[in-house]
Amino acid sequence: MDSDDVELVFPDVPRSRLDLAIRDLLGSAQEVLATEGRLRSLLKASRVVADELELPVVLRTIVEAAVELVGARYGAIGVVNQEGMLEQFIHVGMPDELIAHIGHLPEGHGVLGALIADPRPIRLAHLSDDPRSVGFPDGHPAMDSFVGVPVRVRGEVYGNLYLTEQLSGQFSAEDEQLLSALAATAGAAIDHARLYDESERRRKWSAASAEITATLLSDDSEQSLSILAERVAVLADADVVCVVVPLGAENMSVEMAGGALGERFVGSTFPEQGTLAAQALASRQPILADRGDDSAAAPELSIGPTMAVPLTSADNPMGVLTVSRRAGSTRFTVTDLDMAAEFATQAGLALRLAAGRRDAQTLALLEDRGRIARDLHDHVIQRLFGAGLSLQAVAGSISNPTVRAKLDEQIESLDDAIAEIRTAIFTMTAQASARPLSLRHRVIDTVGEMAALFSDSPQLSFGGAIDLLVPTALSDDIIAVVREGLTNVARHANCTQASVAIVATTTSVTVVVEDDGVGLDPQEQRRSGLSNLDTRAANHGGGCLLTARVPSGTTLSWSVPLSQGSEA
Amino acid sequence: MTSVFLVDDHEIVRRGIADLINAESDLDVVGEAATIKQAFGRIAATLPDVAVLDVRLPDGSGLDLCRDIRSAHPTVVCLMLTGYDDDEASYTAVLAGAAGYVLKDIRGQNLIDSIRRVARGEILIDRSVPLRIVSTATTPSDPTTDLSMRERQVLELIAEGLTNRQIGERLELAEKTVKNYVSGLLGKLGMERRTQAAVYRTRHRDDS
Repeated sequence: MDSDDVELVFPDVPRSRLDLAIRDLLGSAQEVLATEGRLRSLLKASRVVADELELPVVLRTIVEAAVELVGARYGAIGVVNQEGMLEQFIHVGMPDELIAHIGHLPEGHGVLGALIADPRPIRLAHLSDDPRSVGFPDGHPAMDSFVGVPVRVRGEVYGNLYLTEQLSGQFSAEDEQLLSALAATAGAAIDHARLYDESERRRKWSAASAEITATLLSDDSEQSLSILAERVAVLADADVVCVVVPLGAENMSVEMAGGALGERFVGSTFPEQGTLAAQALASRQPILADRGDDSAAAPELSIGPTMAVPLTSADNPMGVLTVSRRAGSTRFTVTDLDMAAEFATQAGLALRLAAGRRDAQTLALLEDRGRIARDLHDHVIQRLFGAGLSLQAVAGSISNPTVRAKLDEQIESLDDAIAEIRTAIFTMTAQASARPLSLRHRVIDTVGEMAALFSDSPQLSFGGAIDLLVPTALSDDIIAVVREGLTNVARHANCTQASVAIVATTTSVTVVVEDDGVGLDPQEQRRSGLSNLDTRAANHGGGCLLTARVPSGTTLSWSVPLSQGSEA
Repeated sequence: MTSVFLVDDHEIVRRGIADLINAESDLDVVGEAATIKQAFGRIAATLPDVAVLDVRLPDGSGLDLCRDIRSAHPTVVCLMLTGYDDDEASYTAVLAGAAGYVLKDIRGQNLIDSIRRVARGEILIDRSVPLRIVSTATTPSDPTTDLSMRERQVLELIAEGLTNRQIGERLELAEKTVKNYVSGLLGKLGMERRTQAAVYRTRHRDDS
């Protein structure tokens, strides 16, 4: 067996050479295989990344592919904003409870910041050895090995891919190269996704625009503004959308607001000086800002990224649409601004059309009322008056007292009818003429409001040129007298009929509120409402009297003198 | 005996009023008309002491008629008869240069009493009323009553009780020109100013 052994002996040197050669060959082959495998992994990762269309999914897929590609425990992609801070940070490998414990995502300091400042790959064996490292917050898991590569989209740095904790120790140069290759694919995929996202958003804005236009043209103004604000909040992914309108010369107010935070803003007013809304209104140009106007009055209303877009109709700026996200949220892009501005133009046009149509309706209504009032005056009153005069003439020649009394009663009711028609004419010809409301209008409105307290609406009559003779300074008092007088009657009198009469002469104005109810309760002679009315009369040198009526009920008579020549 | 002329386009109204007046021993209806055209000639022919004029006539405004009568025949005093309310009637009477107004109420001796008083030369409109109208109209609060310089001057003279002719002399304007200003004023302050104001606001709301 020894000879066999001898036969099997090969010279040392050649054997070791061959061994080495075979070993090298095998090694190279394995290396080729490994490289090929990794290239396959890269290809697979690239394909997965490129398959996605939705940007958030694309970003997550990129991180997942990168982690798998280089065998890292943790991976993340950070999206960098214009200030060089991290705007988004999408990560994998970190358990949720740990994230909750740490409390915030990286903002872009330390090594992450270094990569942002100088977008070239960084590969470290030990993160903590690097002078740029700033350490980890409490509860953060240990991270040792690190590799980071920039992700460029169309030549501009979009963000960075970060990988830590290579499972077998260190990241290799090859890992870095593979990651760089994946980053290039990722850049293209992000670009693709952004284009898709943009076209998708454009489609949604334009669909919404058409829908809003239809709504604005069919609804009343207040509701349509609210719909508008809510839609924009959804479309722009905003937390609050306000329709801001000028209020007087120096202030603005939030007429309507939508979005999650909308309710807090509705109805708030603020000085327009220096605000985004005022700038947008003045320049009639949309404005993009990183943060909204701070509200001095309500600091809790301060908001983050904001777009201010003028809502114009024809040449008239009607207001401003402000679209905002919470502080610290993703900023709006120029594309967002474009779309919001286009939307606002459409909406402005629709609002204008809707307002025009409402005006036309109001106009038609006013003209109709004017015509009816003229008819009532020209025909109805004349006929009643003429007929009444004839009746009166007949009555004069009748000697039978019963018949005569009947005729007088009829004449009286004709006069009442004429007086009522006169008030109706006044109401119809003037109701819409708004500011400042004349005293008679305010009285009509007040009695109208109080009518709900009575089974029959209180009768209302005017005597004398009330609007002309009663000074404006007395208006509030007279309205208060009518209101309190009727309230007392409704509360205590238990009456079937109440009436209000206001009579003005050049020397005095008198308000009389009567009812046919249960009459005066001696226990309640001086009700607080009445002492209040006393004071109101005394302030103007007048007086107030509550008396019993026959057969039942009370008469409240409130009267103040009018000084000669005092201005109405 | 006071002579009275009636202008109203409703026969039934003229009839009723004439009966009422003729029942009084000291009053006498000397003529009637249903339109401005008829009225002007007939009043010139009869020269009554008092003319009772409806504010709305088929061929124009009773206010214009009143001013024309006052200019041409200053001895004829006018009473405006109106179906509108006191406020409206006060404007009407002042702008028309009438001695007073009577609402179309059936009862009471208001019309008869008023005819007697104006025939005696009384002015039934309180002196403060024209002043109030001037001050209200010249307060620039309402674009529809935004009066021009000339219109204000004319209004102030109307409030003083001047006729168109007298205003023309005072402002060195032709009577016809004064008439145009008065028409402008009536449009801005007169009968249907409120409806017009409402329409105006609606029309101009987006331009403000």
